[in-house]
Amino acid sequence: MARGQAPFPARDGAGERAVTVAPEPSELAWSRSELMAVELAAHLRDDDVAVMGTASALPQAACRLAQLTHAPGLWYIAGGTCSVNPHLAPVVPSCCDFDLLRADTAIPLADVVLLEGRGDVLTVFFAGGLQIDAYGNCNLVAVGEWSRPSLRGPGTVGLPFLSRVGRVLIYTMSHTRRTFVERVDFLSGPGFLGGPAEWASAGLSGGGPALVVTPLCTMGFDPGSLRMRLVTVHPGVDIDEVRDATGFDLLVEDPVPVTAAPTPAQLSILRDLDSDGLLKGV
Amino acid sequence: MSKLLSLSDAVERYVPDHVRMLAVGGMHLHNNPMALVREIVRQQRTIGRLLTSPCGALNADLLIGAGLVDEIATSYVGFEHLGLAPCFRRAVEAGSIRVLECDEAYITHGLYAGAGGLAFIPLPAGLEVSDIPKVNQVSYATTTDPFTGREVLVGAPLCPDVALLHAYQADERGNAVLAGAHFVDRLMALASRTVLLQVEQVVPTEEIARHPVGTTIPGFLVQAVVEVAGGCHPTASHGAYDYDEQQLGLYLSMARSAEGVGEYLERHVTGVTEEEYLEKASPRLAELRYGEGPSPVPSSGRSG
Repeated sequence: MARGQAPFPARDGAGERAVTVAPEPSELAWSRSELMAVELAAHLRDDDVAVMGTASALPQAACRLAQLTHAPGLWYIAGGTCSVNPHLAPVVPSCCDFDLLRADTAIPLADVVLLEGRGDVLTVFFAGGLQIDAYGNCNLVAVGEWSRPSLRGPGTVGLPFLSRVGRVLIYTMSHTRRTFVERVDFLSGPGFLGGPAEWASAGLSGGGPALVVTPLCTMGFDPGSLRMRLVTVHPGVDIDEVRDATGFDLLVEDPVPVTAAPTPAQLSILRDLDSDGLLKGV
Repeated sequence: MSKLLSLSDAVERYVPDHVRMLAVGGMHLHNNPMALVREIVRQQRTIGRLLTSPCGALNADLLIGAGLVDEIATSYVGFEHLGLAPCFRRAVEAGSIRVLECDEAYITHGLYAGAGGLAFIPLPAGLEVSDIPKVNQVSYATTTDPFTGREVLVGAPLCPDVALLHAYQADERGNAVLAGAHFVDRLMALASRTVLLQVEQVVPTEEIARHPVGTTIPGFLVQAVVEVAGGCHPTASHGAYDYDEQQLGLYLSMARSAEGVGEYLERHVTGVTEEEYLEKASPRLAELRYGEGPSPVPSSGRSG
């Protein structure tokens, strides 16, 4: 079918930043996006029902990869079209794409909103933000004062539901001090709120954020302080590079392992799905 | 009775000079009723409150860029992987538009409340912890749950005066088939007092009646049907054609400034008729036509 160039994410000269782990054979070269898809996939379980929203090519690919490897029983819903288990032939950049309806089934958007509210059906919610803070709170609304923001974001869509879902998996292509801040300016997607005391008193049904995957590293949350901690650094990335790109005091416990590189089998599946190469750019 | 009207007649007849609340259908870069939106701009209808689906895009940004919107109720205006919405962003940062900050749950449930005549609608526990209800006390409030005595977040019903919607097909009486995803377009039709439909093609009632359960908007909710093949361009029309990244890219680059969006509007909206616009877009529309894909319309009717 006709389709314009739609790299994910849109970045100039992105192809040059692909990381090569071995010069030969060339198929072993993988991109950061592919590594991130593999990291997200590894966290998904066979009994999960996952949901994702806007600009979710990466988590969609991760879910399909998980289905085709260790989690064949996984269900996933591409919010927007609300297709259930889209076949991703190929991966597409828009969550409302007609092509996503090549799927096992599709349900109305209003049904997905009902189930997000019901809270005990969906077990994984993918999230992100213009700002993501030390407690995993996300902000897609406004940087600065809400009434006169210095940067107006697009809006929060379904992120307020993060308070009700099992595990929140956060992903972003931007690991910078502007994205990773001590506290979000506007709370549009709840993480662990202001920390243990506030989190405990809120009595929310969701389990809170579980994982944060960026082009530099994979992070989790310290069970005591509920603050973000470094889990692994991606191959070729320094711990100091991660610290410098993070606008809060990131918990780091030595030694920090290196994220496992995608296997040839994982890459082969991803590339079969991603025939337009949306994940190959960065 | 036929409800078929020309684009200009439909807007002239059914959209007042100032609409208190206008809903625009479609979601992200898909099924935006752009022919109707462009006609609103040509006829300079002003909008007290613009309501989007959970994710507005060009349908909202173009109206804001044309300076027609006082207030927007939305949970997202943007261009997904293509970038932020330039006119929305500029207007909010400059303080020239009021925002009713919403979330997806409220827009969906609020339309349901509007459709059903509900006084308000309770929202799931946990939604109160975000900052959204704190900055929008027009749409959200708290009350006591009479069954449990607990405090509960509630939303006001959404009852648009006019909805602009796109459908794949309709008959002349307004029975419409939404191909592909329905987003919240069906809810908008149910909740709005006046519904204007633009469709890729008008088909005979007999054809619509072959798949009655696939007909998602009944004609009695619809005031006007406008046949405008290609009318979602540059957004996608599910079942017909994909979104046009070239034209969207042109819009996004021109709309970076107020002057630029003015020039875009002059060149692509107010300075041209819809026929001229679509004539110019036709080579792109031909390229963007979907190949073999999911079936846009239920393929068989009731057996027997």
